[in-house]
Amino acid sequence: MATTAPLLKISHLQKRFGKFQALKNIDFEIYPGEVFGFIGPNGAGKSTTIRVLLGILKASGGSATIFGQDVWQKSVAIHRRIAYVPGDVYLWPNLSGGEIIDLFLKMNGAKHSATTDALIKEFGLDPRKKARTYSKGNRQKVALIAAFSTPADFYIFDEPTSGLDPLNEQTFQEHVLQLKAQGKSVLLSSHILSEVEKMCDRIGIIREGTIVETGTLAEMRHLTRTTIEVQTVQPLTKLASLPGVHGLTSKHGENHMSLAVDADQLSAVMSYLTAQQLVTLTSTPPTLEDLFMRYYESPNDARANDGK
Amino acid sequence: MSEQLLTRTGLLIRLNLKRDWTKILIWTLALAGLFTAIAAKFDGIYSTQKAIDSVVVTLKTPAMISLFGAFTAKAPYTTAKIFATEMVVFMAMVMIIMNIMLAVATTRGEEDDGLLELVRAHSVGRLAPLTAGIVELTGLNVVIGLLFGAGLQVAGMPGANTTGNWLIGAGLAAMGWLFGMLTLLVAQLADNAGETTMLSYAIFGIMYIARMGTDVSNPKLTWWIPFGWIEKLSIYQHNDWLPVLWILLLGMVVAIAAAGLNWKRDLGAGFLATRQGRPTASPLLRGPLSLLWRNSRTTVIAWLVGSFVLGASYGSIFNTIGDLAKSNPMIKQLLGATALAAANRVIVKNFIAVLAIVVVIVALIPAVQTMLKLVSDENKGYLHQLYATATSRWQVWGSYTGFALVEAILVAFAGFGGMYLTGAVVMSDPIKWLTYWHVLLAYVPAMLVMIAFASFLAGWLPKWRVLAWVWVLYGFFSLYLGALIKLPTWAKKLTPLGFVNKVPLHAIDWSTNWWLLALTVLILVVASLGYRHRDLAQ
Repeated sequence: MATTAPLLKISHLQKRFGKFQALKNIDFEIYPGEVFGFIGPNGAGKSTTIRVLLGILKASGGSATIFGQDVWQKSVAIHRRIAYVPGDVYLWPNLSGGEIIDLFLKMNGAKHSATTDALIKEFGLDPRKKARTYSKGNRQKVALIAAFSTPADFYIFDEPTSGLDPLNEQTFQEHVLQLKAQGKSVLLSSHILSEVEKMCDRIGIIREGTIVETGTLAEMRHLTRTTIEVQTVQPLTKLASLPGVHGLTSKHGENHMSLAVDADQLSAVMSYLTAQQLVTLTSTPPTLEDLFMRYYESPNDARANDGK
Repeated sequence: MSEQLLTRTGLLIRLNLKRDWTKILIWTLALAGLFTAIAAKFDGIYSTQKAIDSVVVTLKTPAMISLFGAFTAKAPYTTAKIFATEMVVFMAMVMIIMNIMLAVATTRGEEDDGLLELVRAHSVGRLAPLTAGIVELTGLNVVIGLLFGAGLQVAGMPGANTTGNWLIGAGLAAMGWLFGMLTLLVAQLADNAGETTMLSYAIFGIMYIARMGTDVSNPKLTWWIPFGWIEKLSIYQHNDWLPVLWILLLGMVVAIAAAGLNWKRDLGAGFLATRQGRPTASPLLRGPLSLLWRNSRTTVIAWLVGSFVLGASYGSIFNTIGDLAKSNPMIKQLLGATALAAANRVIVKNFIAVLAIVVVIVALIPAVQTMLKLVSDENKGYLHQLYATATSRWQVWGSYTGFALVEAILVAFAGFGGMYLTGAVVMSDPIKWLTYWHVLLAYVPAMLVMIAFASFLAGWLPKWRVLAWVWVLYGFFSLYLGALIKLPTWAKKLTPLGFVNKVPLHAIDWSTNWWLLALTVLILVVASLGYRHRDLAQ
């Protein structure tokens, strides 16, 4: 039983800033050993959620627990077992990168170790430079090195690679996969879809302060659409009226069309196309990007329009 | 060429004004209002010739000279001459503080925040941001100077004349402006806002102490100190415009030097380069308190040294002021040696009581700064990651608050220590350390209340944290000028500093001390609750 208890549990979390409701209804869970991808457009509430989890902001409603403890009441006890990298890293300008890394480690009860040195080398950081002279990417490296050399149980990354070069991004991904292999849990907020696809077991999509979808990638693929370009002998007059057909555009007259089909309506649409006697057919498999684009497009939920 | 350097200066000026207009408005109204109100009230304070003559005697004592400058007005003494003597140095100081604050914010402050990089990336001339700063400061000083002059015209003090009125306005505006330009120059040398502020105040502090020394010993030497030029206007006497011209000329040279350096240096860098740091943290750097010390140790040491030097330079003139026999050889025969020594000691103690005000304010400045750093560090995002570690808010709040409280006590201690040491060296019959210790003990609880209030603002109303500065400035005003402008008792008691007895002339009032301490504890408890429960900045 104990192994299946969620490590993080958020239910009906709300946060209001004055009149503005930043978080309306956040619900998700993260289980031990899981890498959870947290996705959504800018301003959807990702960072606000994370700040509530860190006890920096106080929730206006709902509940959030990590390790079964309330994130606001027991923040210090929780923080002892987590590591965090914010999206915008601001460092004390007068301290060197090396000093800051050590300080973060000490404040979590850890120490500068051989792992720390290895990480500094791997990320290619000059630890002697004063933080004032670091670029955005280098500041992120400082936070990442401190986080990865902290022996935590739960890691929170809030768009951690936005300033990193591709090589360092790769290093980041390798280390997250190592954490996963060690059975640690990770909350990764990101815009980089390849990153999410490669590393995350489950995904939560947030929009306008509400979690609109959670699930594994495989489950999510069901929600995507296959793009089809088709040419038939018979005209495709009834195609537009079929359920699950989107973005129908005529290429050359009524016999040559391009369209997108919802995954669950694919069989029905295919049998209609076959009935019209296929000449050519190319299909493009659904990508994660298509899925994300549907959720990122605002303001009305794409699904609501399609009556799904 | 010039077009390229200055492109869009006008736009930047408008942006600066849009950003600073509340600050500018508050400063302008407060300064012009205060100045005019005091001028208007002055006739009532010093209405009789007897009152005027008696305050002249006071103003001629070294203690008053060290605060207000050499008394150069000649008989017949008028209300206006007293006003000019009492107000000019004080108002010049306030003008300088305002100019340094605004000049830092408009140059380094903006550069540190990375805003200037965005601005420069647009088609904006290389010197445009600096020029916009120069224009903003110039305009502000001109407006305030005009308001000062106009205020005096309206107040119509006996003995005032139109030339003198406008000369005061011009002189104060020019002095403020000079320090605005100096700060712009320092901003090119230093490589961040904190350093710029510190260096600018250091220059001002050195000039203030130097002019105090020369005023007491030989006022002619004050000509060597630019800040001292403000005392050389001979207002309502000869109305000498020459010092104003000198101030303006020096200001222009400084502004041109600032432009020259600005033209040469890289954005974000200074001429005093940043050195490399340690590859790993020292074992001592381990939590919020040691972090705070690590980040502000240079500032703290600078304030300790500055306060010590200030106290020491006051102490070094104790023998001059505490020697009645020097000015009147007959007095020794009249009083006898023992009584004379006792009389001399009273004079010095009186002097110490007056100087204590300066030392206390000097000690409050870095302490309130540290306290409010709790908010500015939070706003700059430095604390963001710290809060994600196993460090409680209580620990962070406690570190900053404790640091500020101790800092105030230590800086004041350094000031009185310096006073004691040089005083002991130069005086034949030195004042005992216990006397200074009592002064410190008498003021500490009142200082703690003011810092606790800053902590309360950090905990509950971070947006209103500027009120902490308003309170300190008010304390400075009411203690520095309060007695001379006959501020009503209730107005003096608007600051806890106003409850302190005139130690060492009187004994410490322990009951006041205890309730001020109790009040400190109460405010701190409330402050910590606020800090524990509020949302932290994003």
